[in-house]
Amino acid sequence: MSNEFDQFKDAFFEEAAEHLAIMEEGLLQLEQSPGDLDLLNKIFRSAHSIKGASGMFGFDLVAQFTHKMETLLDLLRSGKKVVTQPISDLLLKSTDCLKLLIDAAKSNEPTEASTVQQLTEALAAACSAESRPAPSVSPFPTSSKAMPGSRRTFDIHWTPPQNIFQRGLDPLQVFNELNRIGTVSVLKVDTSRLPDLQSIDPEICYLSWDLRLETPASERDVRATFEFVEEDSTLTITEVPVSAPMPEEPPHDSRPTSTLTPLECEETAPKPLGSILVESGVISKETLDRALAMQKRVGEILIEQKAVTPQQLEEALQKQRQMEAAIHAKKADPTSIRVDTAKIDKLINLVGELVITQSMLSDLGTRFDMKQLHVLQERIAQLERNTREIQERVMSIRMVPIGTAFSRFPRLVRDLAAKLGKKIQLVLSGEETELDKTVIEAIGDPLTHLVRNAADHGLEMPEERLDNNKPETGVIKLNAFHESGNICITVEDDGRGLNRDKILAKAVRQGLVPEGVSLSDDQIYSLIMKPGFSTADQVSDLSGRGVGMDVVKRNIEALGGTVSIKTAFGKGTTFTLKLPLTLAIIEGMTIRVGRETYIIPMLSILESIQPKVEAVKTIVGKGELIDVRGLYLPVIRLYEVFNVEPEHRDPAKAILLVVETEGERVAVMVDEIIGQQQVVIKSMEQNFRKVEGIAGATILGDGTVGFILDVRGLLALARQGAALAAS
Amino acid sequence: MAAVTALDNVTNPSQQQAGLATDGSQFLTFKVGDELYGVDILRVQEIKGYTAVTRIPNTPPSIKGVINLRGTIVPIVELRTVFGMPAMEVTPFTVIIVVVVREKVMGLVVDAVSDVLTIGRQDIQAPPALGARVNVSCLSGIAKAGDKLVALLDIDRLLADG
Repeated sequence: MSNEFDQFKDAFFEEAAEHLAIMEEGLLQLEQSPGDLDLLNKIFRSAHSIKGASGMFGFDLVAQFTHKMETLLDLLRSGKKVVTQPISDLLLKSTDCLKLLIDAAKSNEPTEASTVQQLTEALAAACSAESRPAPSVSPFPTSSKAMPGSRRTFDIHWTPPQNIFQRGLDPLQVFNELNRIGTVSVLKVDTSRLPDLQSIDPEICYLSWDLRLETPASERDVRATFEFVEEDSTLTITEVPVSAPMPEEPPHDSRPTSTLTPLECEETAPKPLGSILVESGVISKETLDRALAMQKRVGEILIEQKAVTPQQLEEALQKQRQMEAAIHAKKADPTSIRVDTAKIDKLINLVGELVITQSMLSDLGTRFDMKQLHVLQERIAQLERNTREIQERVMSIRMVPIGTAFSRFPRLVRDLAAKLGKKIQLVLSGEETELDKTVIEAIGDPLTHLVRNAADHGLEMPEERLDNNKPETGVIKLNAFHESGNICITVEDDGRGLNRDKILAKAVRQGLVPEGVSLSDDQIYSLIMKPGFSTADQVSDLSGRGVGMDVVKRNIEALGGTVSIKTAFGKGTTFTLKLPLTLAIIEGMTIRVGRETYIIPMLSILESIQPKVEAVKTIVGKGELIDVRGLYLPVIRLYEVFNVEPEHRDPAKAILLVVETEGERVAVMVDEIIGQQQVVIKSMEQNFRKVEGIAGATILGDGTVGFILDVRGLLALARQGAALAAS
Repeated sequence: MAAVTALDNVTNPSQQQAGLATDGSQFLTFKVGDELYGVDILRVQEIKGYTAVTRIPNTPPSIKGVINLRGTIVPIVELRTVFGMPAMEVTPFTVIIVVVVREKVMGLVVDAVSDVLTIGRQDIQAPPALGARVNVSCLSGIAKAGDKLVALLDIDRLLADG
């Protein structure tokens, strides 16, 4: 039982995270277009969903805090207050705080009460300051604090709408809230509308309440308690003279009411008129049904009576639909991946085809003779096509748009800009580019680092930019796109760029590079990603890059990707991350050395060459180099590194694969290239341990195991071997 | 295939023995050369016929390589090499005993599986000291089963460094 509850809780946390993201995104957009009612509604709905759900799970702190936010949001929504910078700041801070509160609820840890308290007060102050027409600078004292001691008594009659539960609201919360602001001295539940047990619908609220509340709060505050359930409710709040007796039978109609939706009154009567008539035998059920069918909808009647314009009605209906949609969205699949149904439909079609192909093949197998060989080949080709398509479709289910990883950056950049005193515009593009969910999760931190670096060190201060004839506002561009089976993500800034000479000087000073060596620009720029490239005085001394860049590089390479840098001094820097679409499958080149089969990731292969006899030269007697169009590359004989018996020892008979890792190129000597194929990566560490030079294993076509080579490890291994041989 | 039949032959008597014995544990016994060894049967996941093994580069000779066990990569240890015996041709009786060592799945190549024996605790002797020439650190004890001597393997220690 408790496990089931936990499961719902997990779903709540997941949803809450989504709602928080929506709120944050909405608030940021709101700063651009403060009057956007749709946006406000969106934010409000998310806050509301969090409040409703958290109350249901008993996370009272979350519910109370969200309620405060909602109050302010509602004022904004109703136009009683306009969105200003302080308010949006406050709301963003509150969103952060809410995030903390929810995290705390998740881990059952205590929360930082002071922040919550502070923000709660700020929210209350913001609400009261603006809801009153008085242009008071000092926050208007809230009425609950204004009149201590003078307790007032209210009689409240409340009939919630029947669908209150379906809207995700809980009347209990209202009572809790009332208890908080005062003392409920009398509480009566009207159960007269409860139907028989057989016909009861547990999702419908049949109850209404009469209660007496003693509170120091004003009527407005009491009414505010009902704010979120007020719609479609029948609510009367009457102030009674102190010590007045509770009316025995609260006659709703005769009260001095402030009923909100008088037309709904009829529905809240103990029993519908029709059913009374049917029960007493005056009319038959059929007659009633016919009569009911002739009834007009509330909206139509209102229009006829000219109480509302069709336009107003349409707006109200729109709102209702939105609410229904919001409730719908809440009920949606609670798992972590949301898949487009179209994707699943296609998959099911493909599985159907696969089944047909399979039955055709087994049919052929039962009465096969050699004459039908071409039919067999044809069907096997069909099977192959089906399998490949299914593989692609299944992979695409795990694909999510990269926008989810980008969504955190508008806020990050906004905060960074404020902190650094720079003007930064963030441009996102290619958000719809899809890649594997695990990859998305893993690139979040490296990307954050790059964006932070770009804002912090890449872009100049506004004055400096103006001095250099650049627009005052710096631009950071994030872009994602597919390129030959990989995904490329670029982080581009139009800041000061990298200073080649300074980087080189610094690297020499730190002993990372021997003095007097001539390096290519690429090699120099990749120095900033070397571990140990000091970050101590970079901000002032250097162009200020490289803080933790080695970590970025390591993370990206762990995913099988690469990082490259393009920069123009004074014009800006572009970091390009190239990543595989998925971590589970890689495109590989199958090669053979002696009797062993290995796979080299395609991502690291540049070309393959069949060297001429004289192309391989040796230096210092042992080290081998190959001349590739004028560039000498070191040769690694794979059979030597792995101690296997090769077919060819003569490079002229073998094949050399030029591979690149960390900007370094080497030629790997193998016996034969078998072909290119996609391989599923299997872990070696699961049952064994990490093997130097091997990135993982895979199952080959014949069911045996093949190893996927780790080019970087291979290089290290070859160097080690050479060092051993030399010593 | 041969291995599976061999195992079928031994299960029935072993179950009867298990029914009788209240004290002691069951051991799967197997042959390496002419010697009989035993492992705690609770550590055995399955027994499978010998399949082609992919050699792992730059690993000690006792690690014969890895196999594909229904999609997982399982390392294979050749006990002959571990015990310093000469390598032998693969016969139809050569089997891989798949064991679980510290949550890792590993395979042991042995010459043949023999029997499942229930050995009472009182029948197990501590491994004798045979001097530096013979390493008995991977044995948890020795036991007598009928007229046969069974050396009981401590696979945790045996496969400690993989």
